[in-house]
Formats: sequence, C-alpha cells, structure tokens
Amino acid sequence: MSEPSRDEIYEKICELLKPYNPQNRPIKMSSGIMSDLEVDSTAVFDIIMGLEDHYDISIPMEMVSDIKTVGELTTAIMGLTAS
Amino acid sequence: MSLFEKYAPLQARLDVVKKVGTDPFGVKFDDILSPTRGRIGNREIVLAGTNNYLGLTFDEDCMAAAKKAIDDHGTGTTGSRIANGTYEEHTDLEKAIADHMGMPSCIVFSTGYQTNLAAISGLAGDKDVIFMDADAHACIIDGTRLTGASTIRFRHNNPEDLDKRLRRQGEIEGGHALVVIEGMYSMFGDIAPIDEFLDVTHKHGGYLFIDEAHSYGVFGPTGCGIAEEQGVLDKVDFISSTFSKSLASIGGFCASIHPEFEITRKVMRPYMFTASPTPSNVSAARAAVDKIKSGGHLRANLKTRAFQLHKGLSELGYDLCADPSPVIAARRPNEAIAAMEWNWLLQNGVYVNLAVPPGTPQSSSLLRISLSAAHSEDDVNQIITKFKDLKEVSPNLMAEMMKSMQAAE
Repeated sequence: MSEPSRDEIYEKICELLKPYNPQNRPIKMSSGIMSDLEVDSTAVFDIIMGLEDHYDISIPMEMVSDIKTVGELTTAIMGLTAS
Repeated sequence: MSLFEKYAPLQARLDVVKKVGTDPFGVKFDDILSPTRGRIGNREIVLAGTNNYLGLTFDEDCMAAAKKAIDDHGTGTTGSRIANGTYEEHTDLEKAIADHMGMPSCIVFSTGYQTNLAAISGLAGDKDVIFMDADAHACIIDGTRLTGASTIRFRHNNPEDLDKRLRRQGEIEGGHALVVIEGMYSMFGDIAPIDEFLDVTHKHGGYLFIDEAHSYGVFGPTGCGIAEEQGVLDKVDFISSTFSKSLASIGGFCASIHPEFEITRKVMRPYMFTASPTPSNVSAARAAVDKIKSGGHLRANLKTRAFQLHKGLSELGYDLCADPSPVIAARRPNEAIAAMEWNWLLQNGVYVNLAVPPGTPQSSSLLRISLSAAHSEDDVNQIITKFKDLKEVSPNLMAEMMKSMQAAE
C-alpha cells in the first residue's frame, strides 16, 4: 500500500468513528476524541484496531494514551505508515 | 473551577441513574445471611451477583480455618513480606496451590487486582511486547501500564487475530511476546479457546499468561480452571487467579511452569510495597483449595444451575451474551432501561449486577448474573420468574421513568 495522505487517513478515521457518533457531531482535526465526541475508552481501542488492520500497522496502547484529538491520531498514523 | 469539575459529566450520568432508584454502584446490604441470601431493610434478597461461584463464604471449614488463624497469629501482618517477613500461612498456601496446579512456582498476593498488576509488571520488561485480549479486565490493562513494554490489543477471543498481530510485530529484538488472556470473561461469561491461543503464542516463541479469576475452582476435573478443562494446563506459562470468588476470601495468586518466576518477588512493586494478606484471609483460601480439589459435586451443581437459568431466560426471549456458564448476562437496550430494570429486580428481591460502558465489551448495558453452587433449583426458578415478571411490567416502568425524569427536569 502506498503511503496514505493526511486527508485519506482523516476520512478513514471519520468512517470508523461514525458508529460511535450517533448524534453526528462535526468531526474536526481539533476534535477531542473522548472529550468532544464522547467516544468511550473501550470504543477508542476498537477504532484503533480497525486502523491497525486497515493500514497493517501496530499502534501500541502507550501511544494511544498520548493521543487526544483526531488530528493527533492522523499525525500518528502518518508517522507509522511512512516508509 | 474546582478540582472535581472534570467529573461533572460522570456526576450527571450518575444522577440520571439515581433518579430511577437506588445507586446500583453503592448497594448496602443490612445483613448477609448465606452465600445466596442478603437482607436490605426487611426484605430478604436472593443474591445472584456475588461471584461466589462455589458458595464457600459460609463453609464451616473455611470459617474455622480463618478463626483459628486469628487465634494463632493475630488479625494483621502489618507489612510486606519483603520488609516484615513471611508467615507460615503464606508458604503453606503457595505450596498447596502449586501442588494443585502441578507447577513449581506460586506467589500469593494481597488482592486479585494486585496479582495481575504485580505479575504482568514483573514479567514484561522494556524490550518485551504485551499482546492483550481486547476485553481484558482493568487490572490487566493497569498491569501493562506499570511496565515499559509496548502493548498491543488483539480482537477478543480470536487466536487468528493474535497470530496476525504477532506476525505484524515480527521479531522482537532483545525481548519476548507476553500474551495475556482470561479463562472465562467476567462480563459476558464467554470462554477462551486456550488450546488455540497456546499454539499461536508458542509458535511465535511467546509466553501465555491466563487470568483464571472467574474460572479457577469452577472448571476442570479438579477445579484448576479452563486450561485444565481443555487438557493443556501443563503447557500454560503463567496462570493467575483471585481468592475473592471461588476461594471465598481476599487475595490472589500467580503460578508458573517456570521455576525462575520466583525471582520476580524481588521486582514486583505491588508485591513488595504493600501489606501481605492476613493470616485469616490466607487460611480461609487454603481451606477452600481443598474444597475445590474435591468439589466435583459443587461444579456439577453450578453447571446444572447455569444451564437451567440460561434455558429459562432464553425461553423468555432475553438476548444472552454467551453460552451457558456461571456468568449469564442479558443485553439491554441502553443504560437507562438497564438501570430501571436492575432497580425493579432489587425491589422485588433479586440482586444482580448492572454493568455499563466503558466497563463492558461492545459498549453494552447488561443485567449480569453470577451463579453459585449454593443456589438451588428453586432459587434459579425464582430468578427466572422475576425476569418473566420484569418483562411484563417493563412498559409501565418505562412510562413511569419518563414521567419522573421529565418532572425532575
């Protein structure tokens, strides 16, 4: 798989967040995943597993602890998918 | 802004639940009468949410052992085994469990939570990688946080997914994979295919750690747990469990086929820097180990009751989360309905557990029942009858709840 762009990763994150965002809150790069979108910690890890499988990468839990916003998650995945 | 402002959303959520009735996370019993009966006010309650799987909390031998230990060695240990010494009761229990499991090493801890905190943090170093089941208990998650190891989650009860993630990780330079699963999962009561996890873990050169907190004493011909039930006990690297369920006490243990496990006593902070378990707790657990070894009749009754309840609730149309096991959880539409129903059951004499996200898999809201070998056929029929009545009154309850919540607004 070629390296995904920031926009592609953002779109994928939005897609995975959709089932956990029934009120359709706007998902921005600055949105706090737990604080603004109110996704609970268990669901966050389910989304992470989906991203790991889609991009064939490992996102360790200790890295997830430091990620608060959609933008930070996007940046982390860009780093992990960079060859 | 106060220090507690961050808990405002949680407080609001709790307030909603409380409007429905009793605080489900702060139930106070005025008396505990037996393994299966409690009292709140003047109401006798059937206890169906205690994890007292073998019903040994009132066993005469376990109680006598605890009382004798107090007479012999007092009420407390006043410190850790590292700093303040080991009691005879500690080593006796460690030997009894090691013998029971057929393993050369066993270490006893002060609580079940601390057991996994200690063992996982003692086993995994900076260069190791922990692979943890997605539905792992909080004490496993917290244990990984005490290590410098990377931690990867794999899909629940899915050895193929573990295999994929181990392959993705590749060679772990200077370290090893530590795979952590549970025997029976506490929320849904579903059971791990340990034999398959063993194959995958060992194929990749890793070590398998199983938390049998809800399955030690409950499964296997001699009660060693799911690994024994599946015939692979002698291949499992580490097995932990708690004393607070089938062993009817407080504390926990981790046993290993690796004699080198003993060295971790010198590095596990939740072992070294906390008071050791009291003589009475340890002695009650020691007596319970013997009960477990010869407890085939208890396990047989527990299994019969599990099938009885599972069949009864299934026939009533409840959406149950797993096959029959001592934990039977009914999935409810949402947290408010589950709380309302939980309250009605308590008001009508049946105590179960209300389990809600994020403590539950798949963000589910559950009415969770844990059965006991001390439950009779009549007890289980009583539980089924109450769940039947609940179905009938539920629409009215819902209307009342909506009305009272609107009035409160």
